[in-house]
Amino acid sequence: MSSLLKKSEAKLGLKLVAPAVGIIALLVIYPIAFNVYLSFFDVQLNGQKTFVGFENYSNLLCNPRYYHSVGVSVVYLIGTVAGTTILGLAAAILMNQDFRLRNLARGLILLPYFAPVISVVFGWQFIFDPVNGIYNHMVVDVLGLTDTRDNLIGNPDSALFVVIVFDIWKHFPIAYLLFLAKLQSVPKDLYEAAAIDGQNAWGRFWHVTLPELRFVIATVVLLRVIWNLNRFEDVYLLAPNVETLPIFTYYQAFAGLVDQGIAAAISVIQLLVLVGLIWLYVRKVLKW
Amino acid sequence: MMNKRTKLQSFMLYALVIALVVFCIFPFLQILSTSLKHPIDWGNPSLIPKILHLDAYKELLGLMPPKDVDIPASIQRLLDNPALSEAKKQALITKFTSGGDVFSFGRYMLNTFVISLVTGVCATFLASLAAYAIARLRFPGQSVMANGVLFVYMVGGVLLMVPLYQMSVSVGLASSVAGTLFSLFLIYLIQTLPVAMYMLGNYFRTIPFSLEEAAMMDGCSRVEAFWRIIMPLSKPMLFTVFIYCFVIAWNEYLFASVFLKQYQDFHTLPLALQTLFTSKNAIWDRIMAASMLTLLPVIICFMLANRHLSGGLTEGGVKG
Repeated sequence: MSSLLKKSEAKLGLKLVAPAVGIIALLVIYPIAFNVYLSFFDVQLNGQKTFVGFENYSNLLCNPRYYHSVGVSVVYLIGTVAGTTILGLAAAILMNQDFRLRNLARGLILLPYFAPVISVVFGWQFIFDPVNGIYNHMVVDVLGLTDTRDNLIGNPDSALFVVIVFDIWKHFPIAYLLFLAKLQSVPKDLYEAAAIDGQNAWGRFWHVTLPELRFVIATVVLLRVIWNLNRFEDVYLLAPNVETLPIFTYYQAFAGLVDQGIAAAISVIQLLVLVGLIWLYVRKVLKW
Repeated sequence: MMNKRTKLQSFMLYALVIALVVFCIFPFLQILSTSLKHPIDWGNPSLIPKILHLDAYKELLGLMPPKDVDIPASIQRLLDNPALSEAKKQALITKFTSGGDVFSFGRYMLNTFVISLVTGVCATFLASLAAYAIARLRFPGQSVMANGVLFVYMVGGVLLMVPLYQMSVSVGLASSVAGTLFSLFLIYLIQTLPVAMYMLGNYFRTIPFSLEEAAMMDGCSRVEAFWRIIMPLSKPMLFTVFIYCFVIAWNEYLFASVFLKQYQDFHTLPLALQTLFTSKNAIWDRIMAASMLTLLPVIICFMLANRHLSGGLTEGGVKG
């Protein structure tokens, strides 16, 4: 009887997960394999394929533009991961204090995270607009730091830094949420004990807060790296001239001289890196 | 932290809070302000418009009377040519009066709304079935699915865009509008399902099993217990997950641009806004008004769902 019950439970379970897991298998797992297959072909937009062996990979590894975009991606990753983690932590500590209108402030600082990228990029573009923007107004007219109005987003080098600041602005709230949740669970006596030991605010932060948050910080850093490695919209919509890896892939696949086989090859390499990071996440973070 | 703050500490605290909040909302204020400014006022760094200028909103929402477009003199001469047939003249006139100037914002908003709504409803429904099974039932492959779902989600859209596009080409979906929209809908499902399953699974686990047990004692089947007990109890979380999925679809740009590029009538707002920005009609007030109108539904959703959303996303540190 009980084994019969178990069987019917298993049957029901499989039935219930089937649609969701089926769609995921068909549209995530299969494409990953298909992508590896495509990376050995010359692939046209209309679906025509010619087998070329490892040519896509050798072309790619001889392409200076590829290495350039790897470099841009590395700068982007270091800047955004460090920035979101530090600002997220600072914001969490700040918002964990008692002050008036705290709930309002907590809500407002989440706005950048939920807002559609497409809307907020125009706000940022206007801020850095060479003619009307407040940035140039401040730097040139008010502070007089330079004489010329620069088009920061127009120039790929400075645009990279605007993109990094934009990304920190957009994504620090999720880091902040994770930190705040953990901070609220740090036992108060730890701080009291540290205070009795004569630690000042900085000492309490260094000896209590940081060790307690160690795992969350590692989680945030690793998740940021994983997410930002694939980040496309934030960069492309704000400054399409900043060629991080995803942007480079997009140009190869859908713009100008289309070469979807090369794009597939880039994705395969990137996927290998990603799998390594996810493995690290599983082994080191989820086990904690 | 323990003792009362001094005046200086209080002041520092408020200064820092205000600085952070201003940093976060300044771009939104900039968008709102520019959308309300007259073009002559754009260079004015103040956020408060000198004159309130609502034309951009009126234009987008179709409240402006149609403008008389001047037909260039050279075209007028062509039109005066008696040799030209009446039909050709009409075609010329419509070409010049309608121009590329129309930006059917309402249409794009409706497109976006429909696809987001369908995605939200389907993803929430499918995810609740799967999450219930993973949270409550025992079946082979369960733990693999429970853990696998999240890793799948970390594979970003950029890595899947080429194979997914090629798949939809090879099964013939990409060649028709309906097929394209269907492909896009499926893609939005996979972008939302994993987190939806995760959030709902966590929530279902907090509901005491004894409630279902009692229902089954009273003669309900497992499915009925799920439907009559679990689902009604989970309403707030179901709503939150729906909003989350809705907003993901509402904001999505990458796949919309890959699949819908050639079907202008079916553009979603992110795609339409980007096209507007790069077109000759890029006028700041109009762009900003369009941004504001795209933003507004998201902010409303966010205010409705904030309480559960923040908690749901952080438990386990999922989404980035």
